[in-house]
Amino acid sequence: AAAGGLWRAGWRLWRGRAVVRWQLYPPQRVLQASATLRRASDEHRKEPFAATSQQQFDSHPADPQLEQEPQHSRPSYTGQGGQESEDYESEEQLQHRILTAALEFVPEHGWTAEAIAEGAKTLGLSVAAAGMFHSDGSDLILHFVSQCNTKLSELLEQEQKRVQLGETEKKPTDQFLRDAVEARLRMVIPYIEKWPQALSILLLPRNIPSSLSLLTSMIDDIWHYAGDQSTDFNWYTRRAVLTGIYNTTELVMMQDSSPDFEDTWRFLENRVADAMNMSDTANQVQSTGEAVVQGLMGAAVTIRNLTGLNQRR
Amino acid sequence: AVGLCPCRLLLLRRDGALRALRGCVRGLAAGPETHFGFQTVTEAERREKIYQVFESVAKKYDVMNDSMTLGIHRVWKDIFMHKMNPSPGTLLLDVAGGTGDIAFRFINYVRAVRERQLQQKLKRQQNLSWQEISESYREDKSKSLEDSQVVVCDINKEMLKVGKQKAQNLGYSEGLSWVLGNAEELPFDDDKFDVYTIAFGIRNVTRIDLALQEAYRVLKPGGRFLCLEFSHVSNPLLSRLYDLYSFQVIPVLGEVIAGDWKSYQYLVESIRRFPPQEELKAMIEDAGFFKVDYQNLNGGIVAIHSGFKL
Repeated sequence: AAAGGLWRAGWRLWRGRAVVRWQLYPPQRVLQASATLRRASDEHRKEPFAATSQQQFDSHPADPQLEQEPQHSRPSYTGQGGQESEDYESEEQLQHRILTAALEFVPEHGWTAEAIAEGAKTLGLSVAAAGMFHSDGSDLILHFVSQCNTKLSELLEQEQKRVQLGETEKKPTDQFLRDAVEARLRMVIPYIEKWPQALSILLLPRNIPSSLSLLTSMIDDIWHYAGDQSTDFNWYTRRAVLTGIYNTTELVMMQDSSPDFEDTWRFLENRVADAMNMSDTANQVQSTGEAVVQGLMGAAVTIRNLTGLNQRR
Repeated sequence: AVGLCPCRLLLLRRDGALRALRGCVRGLAAGPETHFGFQTVTEAERREKIYQVFESVAKKYDVMNDSMTLGIHRVWKDIFMHKMNPSPGTLLLDVAGGTGDIAFRFINYVRAVRERQLQQKLKRQQNLSWQEISESYREDKSKSLEDSQVVVCDINKEMLKVGKQKAQNLGYSEGLSWVLGNAEELPFDDDKFDVYTIAFGIRNVTRIDLALQEAYRVLKPGGRFLCLEFSHVSNPLLSRLYDLYSFQVIPVLGEVIAGDWKSYQYLVESIRRFPPQEELKAMIEDAGFFKVDYQNLNGGIVAIHSGFKL
């Protein structure tokens, strides 16, 4: 029985390692993003993240939307002296309008300055207005991503309100995570042909800070609405895990050709289930580790006794 | 004089010739004091002098550009064009563009972009018949520069003459027009152009504020103002070397190659008298442009200013 127990523990340990390894080493393409996230979360000694988490909890009653927008575009709605543009809107607002108009040309032109130029044309501006943005199209992508994140937080907030009003049942955590990630990924579907191009542009070193901050704030949001109130290291593990799930599901979606992306949602379901089991596995690994260490200590003491080293002379 | 290679003189551009002639007729009581190099002259005198300078250097302009900057001006102009990043269908006004450097680069750039677009379109259409493929090639050749146009405007007839000759030699014919005009008083309607450029020319405009206002006027909403010009070097070591080179070498080159010491003395002096980057940025903002920014090339020897009419 003991041997069977040991064997089972070893099997779980091996499987746990496999799961953990899979989680920690997602496929090559997003290695940079998640690795930098992990390094950032480990190295920065919780300081900035503690600040962000404080902000999250403090500002939640106020307006989670404010979290999303300032990440990338910092719109200034107050008029600034000497800066009137047409119709008293600020430069940032005009840039938003141009980028929003440019989104409809993305399926044809891709995430490029040409799409932005076409968008500017529909607003009645000259095509030269596309020169306001960086020529690799990253501004357009970041704008789209932050728009999607804002939509996602609105959805989650509405759902939370419905739960509070008693109209719907509160979902269990894994269901909640699955639905949130699915809703967010579905927003990409209209642009899915050109989305791989967008992902590669977001991974350029120049764009990594902004894309990373958008990603982390979205994951933060999801966990917040999922009811995460942890204040210990769990905060990091949860976010790292969900980031891994999100990134890998996104990649699977890129090359999924099943009707309505069924394979992707099934993949997502499995990953979330794995994540839920991971905490049990982690505990098992720890207790097995402890048991093994104690066994070794015992063996060492026994050997010392046998060789007579323990004898006090 | 006939073999005009596509080299450039980033020399002086002059504007205000018509006013200068009028000033001459009126006599010496002509306008407030301004500078011509390190001298102090009236505005009318300045315009006239600058016109004469360019009249005399026009034929050797490109050669002098290459020798003075050791060919680096071509790189500057290429960077300038990349910053503009024009899409096909852009209408460009190149002011003080006498010998046509920026205009030719613009045409090349837009043609290359069009070709790339065509190639991408063809790549997507994998199963065409030979008939359809040949048709698509035929229609796109005729459209190669259809909607992109560049208007080169200069105040100096000699410079325009040199430019037209160069265009003929290099084979640029469509999408290019040459207009005689004064940057302070452009002969165009409002809201016409997508991009307004002035490369190494604004230094020679007597009233820079008027030129900027004209630029604002002729640009479409959303249009872009781009200015390439010599500017202020802040690094002290580089500044000393640059001064040494400017005042000791360039006028000598001018005498040896073009037989004109005075014009090149004027050139280097006018660079020193031109407002530095921040001041020019403020002037552009005053004219009504938004998102005004500048980029230093070679440590500030040359700067590209950009603004949008929003």
